[in-house]
Amino acid sequence: MAISERGVRVWDLSVRLTHWLIAVLVGFSWWSAKANHLPWHRLSGDLILGLLLFRLIWGVVGSQTARFSEFVRGPAAIMRYVRGGGFAGNGHNPLGALSVIALIATLSLQVGLGLFSVDEDGLEPGPLSKFVDFDTGRAIAHLHHMVFNVLLALVGAHLIAIAIYELRRKRLLLPMITGRVDAAESTSAPRFAPAWLAIAIAAIAGAIAWLIAHGLKLSGAI
Amino acid sequence: MPLRVSIRSVAVATALIFVGTASLGAGLSAADSVKARQQHFKELGGAAKAIGEQFKSGAPDPAIVKAQAAKLSQLAATLPTWFPAGSGPAAGVKTRALPLIWSDASGFSTAAQNLATETSKLNGLAASGNLAGAGAQMQAVGAACGGCHKKYRGPEA
Repeated sequence: MAISERGVRVWDLSVRLTHWLIAVLVGFSWWSAKANHLPWHRLSGDLILGLLLFRLIWGVVGSQTARFSEFVRGPAAIMRYVRGGGFAGNGHNPLGALSVIALIATLSLQVGLGLFSVDEDGLEPGPLSKFVDFDTGRAIAHLHHMVFNVLLALVGAHLIAIAIYELRRKRLLLPMITGRVDAAESTSAPRFAPAWLAIAIAAIAGAIAWLIAHGLKLSGAI
Repeated sequence: MPLRVSIRSVAVATALIFVGTASLGAGLSAADSVKARQQHFKELGGAAKAIGEQFKSGAPDPAIVKAQAAKLSQLAATLPTWFPAGSGPAAGVKTRALPLIWSDASGFSTAAQNLATETSKLNGLAASGNLAGAGAQMQAVGAACGGCHKKYRGPEA
């Protein structure tokens, strides 16, 4: 039973865990790049890659509030919401969905660029940089640097939006930690995917990320 | 009257040509030096990347490691010549080479010599077919790169 005095469960552990791990790792990635700890930066990127893969698959087959098909809406629905039309469902509202998509897309691009990036000394290049030459890898590294600013702007907008909602007494932060909203805020309990599915998808996403992190080297990998 | 060219006019003309060429050369050379230097460092980076890929592959190709190690060593040996006087930021060119390279010439020379020594060791190991040794030596080469960059290279613009 999902509805109780503790409120309605809207976010499963998978969504919360991927969200917070990615948040921490993006911060760590920024710091490790700034401090020129490239092996740590690469590891952090590899982990984000795995989390992103998990989240993308979970967004298709996971719990109801995690599914893109459940929360991604067209321009009409977004405009209706922006004009004060309200939102009765659970999870991301039509406008917030845009933020989710923008963040996931930009982060995916950023991780993708990082895989092919080459540092200026050529000593700590990304795991797929062997497929590009030094100059191309350097150009990709510069793009990687630029896209980080886009990501930073999106994170900033994300935080400002949360602050505005909180000021208007719409709790967003606590539910992303506990997974629950007040019973008054929800009329129905969303459907949740079983834990075994999350574990199986985590294993698949982890395996793919591991292979990419090792330069898609199949021989001697196992 | 035969056309007489005074020694003096020849001397003046020669001096003018010399000064003109020299100043033109100096004006071009700062930018050219920076460009050539950056090209050299790209070659160094490319060789380091190529060697790293061999070791990461798990089955390094001795021929590639040998060729790239030789290239690294040769490049490193000429590195001090990539920093002619007047090719720093004071010349008004965009470069991350810090003025310290010229003001602390002996320190820079030691750092450059360190890279030459470490890459020469790498080259020796690779040439003798000691791939495990060469792989381990890449750490020392990387440290030599980093040691110099930390002190003598400015931040990325």
